[in-house]
Amino acid sequence: MSTDAVGARAASAEANVSLHFMMSTAQGAFNFFAGLAILFGLWWAGVHLVVALDPSMTLFSGFGPVPAFRAIPTLWEEGVIQGAVWASGYRLGAGLLIAIAIGFPIGILMGRSRTFRELSNSPFQFLRMISPLSWEPIAVIVFAGWEQAIVFLIAIAAVWPVAFATAAGLAKVDPAWIKVARNLGARPRHILVQIIVPAIMFDFLTGIRLAIGVAWIVLVPAEFFGVRSGLGYAIEDARESISYDNLMAMVLIIGAIGYVLDTMTVRLIKRYSWHREG
Amino acid sequence: MSSTVAPAGTLSFPRLKSPGVRRFVYGVAGLLVMLVIWQIGTLLLHLDPGTRTFTTFGPIPTFEAFPVLWEEGKIQSAVAASGYRLAVGLFIAIAIGVPIGILMGRSKKFRELSNSPFQFLRMISPLSWMPLAVIVYTQWDQAIIFLIAIASIWPVAFATAAGLAKVDPAWFKVARNLGARPMHMLTRVILPAIAFDVFTGIRLALGVAWIVLVPAELLGVTSGLGYAIKDARETLSYNHLTAMVLVIGAIGYLLDSVCVQLIKRYSWHYSGQ
Repeated sequence: MSTDAVGARAASAEANVSLHFMMSTAQGAFNFFAGLAILFGLWWAGVHLVVALDPSMTLFSGFGPVPAFRAIPTLWEEGVIQGAVWASGYRLGAGLLIAIAIGFPIGILMGRSRTFRELSNSPFQFLRMISPLSWEPIAVIVFAGWEQAIVFLIAIAAVWPVAFATAAGLAKVDPAWIKVARNLGARPRHILVQIIVPAIMFDFLTGIRLAIGVAWIVLVPAEFFGVRSGLGYAIEDARESISYDNLMAMVLIIGAIGYVLDTMTVRLIKRYSWHREG
Repeated sequence: MSSTVAPAGTLSFPRLKSPGVRRFVYGVAGLLVMLVIWQIGTLLLHLDPGTRTFTTFGPIPTFEAFPVLWEEGKIQSAVAASGYRLAVGLFIAIAIGVPIGILMGRSKKFRELSNSPFQFLRMISPLSWMPLAVIVYTQWDQAIIFLIAIASIWPVAFATAAGLAKVDPAWFKVARNLGARPMHMLTRVILPAIAFDVFTGIRLALGVAWIVLVPAELLGVTSGLGYAIKDARETLSYNHLTAMVLVIGAIGYLLDSVCVQLIKRYSWHYSGQ
């Protein structure tokens, strides 16, 4: 096929792609909002059904979407949302950073050394399956304060996905690439930065996504006790003061933040995605 | 290949040529290394007079606690209570998640509309539902089962949908040509094809449920593994605590291994094109 024809094919394909992309984003946006609208509709219907069927549960209408959405501006003005997000965000960030700082090297070690991989397999698989919150009593004793204990819980839960994903990414690195790079005069530093890191980025980020998911599950119950800040505490506080609208508002906030974190990570993963040619 | 013959005066081990043997030996060795590290940590605690009380966290007191806990029946009752909640919660998650996943796989409209609400609901940390569940359900057991189900349903649904995407539409045409009814389609074509992905989803669901189970049992119930940990902590029986942590790890490991075996059993590939 002549280059002109190939170029024309490519150009029209690109135009089709951008039109398709435009239509798909408009379609995508519609689906996004329509889906959420259906969800909130079902939520509203569910609450009203419960109240209608059981008159003794009139308080239950406080769990509905309208009170929840009404509560959000109030909570924002009082600074409750910001304070909770900030406190939880710090613990999540610190815990994830430690998980990466420890998990990434462990993953590389697992990928590079067969002995380490075979020896560490059984203890890691065992430690991985200890439900993270089981460490809470021990963590509270070992660490001076609850803050550090919570960060520890998040780190111990998140380190496993990071380590295993890094090892999996390393397994995909073709040894031939390193030979070629060395032939072309690459120093170890170059090999690390130009070959290994880009190659394992996809799996590493997938591991981060899993780590965020696990950390997100662990964070809320870890904040039920011992601290007076954070998203988990805000939920407990709303429950104890019987402010169900505040409670559902915080549930919405938790879902929204989790969704944003996960979506951002997925974007990063797509950015670094690669396939073997041929 | 026979084992190497050693020259006189030297020791030599037979080659670990069987992969199963090798895996077993390294598996045991790895756990022993972990035990040694644990014991070293305990000795360090013993050296400092201020932390000497915490030596009960060590491996020897922990292993001494096992027979005691077993005789008192604490391990059995905790495992039974937690196991019941886990099993029922997972069963509900599968019973609802697999049909939803199949729907997501078969209907483009459903998949597109349900994507944003499912992604949003999925990212609500499961324990956030705790206060709501406690009010809706009269018994704590039901609330815990609800939490496990709502956490586990998403991996099952999404994995099922992914499995369905691998089903070749041609198989349906062939099956229909051969006279298959919808029931046959389901049991002979869809279910065997998606079994691999469904079990992968169940494995992920189990992992999530296992994380959710323990904190859910820290509040309001008087049975189960989470309660056993809280009880041990409140009575300052640190060796009981670590013993229960080991039990939790061991059971989690066992359940995960069962899932891995099931996944391998139902694994299939497209033959070369």
